[in-house]
Amino acid sequence: MEIDELEQPSGHAVESGSTNSEAESIKPMNCVDFQRDLPLIIDTGGNAEQEEHLRTCPVCGDLVADLRYIAEQAKLLIPMRDPSPKVWSNIEDRLKREGLVKSAQGRRG
Amino acid sequence: MYLAIRNQAAEPDCGAEAEDTSAAVAATPVAPEAPVRRASTAAPRILPSGMPEAEAIQRAQAGEEGSFEALYTLHKRRVYSLCLRMTGNTAEAEDLTQEAFLQLYRKIATFRGESAFSTWLHRLAVNVVLMHLRKRGLPEVSLQETMEPTEEDGPKKDFGSADQVLAGSIDRVNLERAIENLPPGYRIIFVLHDIEGYEHNEIAEMMGCSIGNSKSQLHKARMKMRDLLKVNRAERNASKR
Repeated sequence: MEIDELEQPSGHAVESGSTNSEAESIKPMNCVDFQRDLPLIIDTGGNAEQEEHLRTCPVCGDLVADLRYIAEQAKLLIPMRDPSPKVWSNIEDRLKREGLVKSAQGRRG
Repeated sequence: MYLAIRNQAAEPDCGAEAEDTSAAVAATPVAPEAPVRRASTAAPRILPSGMPEAEAIQRAQAGEEGSFEALYTLHKRRVYSLCLRMTGNTAEAEDLTQEAFLQLYRKIATFRGESAFSTWLHRLAVNVVLMHLRKRGLPEVSLQETMEPTEEDGPKKDFGSADQVLAGSIDRVNLERAIENLPPGYRIIFVLHDIEGYEHNEIAEMMGCSIGNSKSQLHKARMKMRDLLKVNRAERNASKR
């Protein structure tokens, strides 16, 4: 499979302006096709066929719910740990050796 | 149905695929015009001493030692967390934190304030980590892996019931543990996109891959996270019986 194909979700777009027969005209999608397209549509939304499959398929519905939940929880992670004190000690030594800091009495260099 | 996690920036045409994703790509220069990161807005603009960060930056640009340390104290946790999550190793993370700040101080005179200082520092730290990983020869994104479907790629057929979905069952500790257990390539993408908030076009640029690859790897990372979290939950439930 060519990489470029990853950029083109499968499925048939429903024409705009469809009437009450829109649901009837949506070609049923199977889990294989839906989950193949999922990487490209999960963060941006899918076409009518994909949305319909998601709405009606408990397997794919639960899968998407889990993946969205994981992404949302990851967003909430905050930095929790500090580096050891030696990291600053090493930085401080290097700054002085490279002449990037000036002493209290002299010029930088 | 899908609520966008965040608004996707317009994705540029990536052109031809890189044949060799392990080829060293020059670290992306710090981009002063980079968008403010979601997490960067959490960094306070006032140092604990009460000095505004902007003033500390100016003093550091003039070589004042105390200001270097003040900026380090303000930003060390976030930089270290980024390095630790991307490498999964505390010793490496400390070395990379040190290197990131040293590069910052060497370049601080060039900071003009067009973007948030934390954004500038963050992007620099990401570049430092990626350069380190490239030198180690770690494949960040494998074209081969992306193109050849594996057993993992098959449609998931586990019929989930409401009590089997993950919602509400993950705490921070288990989430962090799962991230640590991700394969390195997946972990990098997951950290950059879902934790640090980089868009796929930015990740693609930094890592020398296509946007499609970035999306595919992220999806695999999230799927792996799902597996790890479900196993972890099952183990916890079993231990309660």
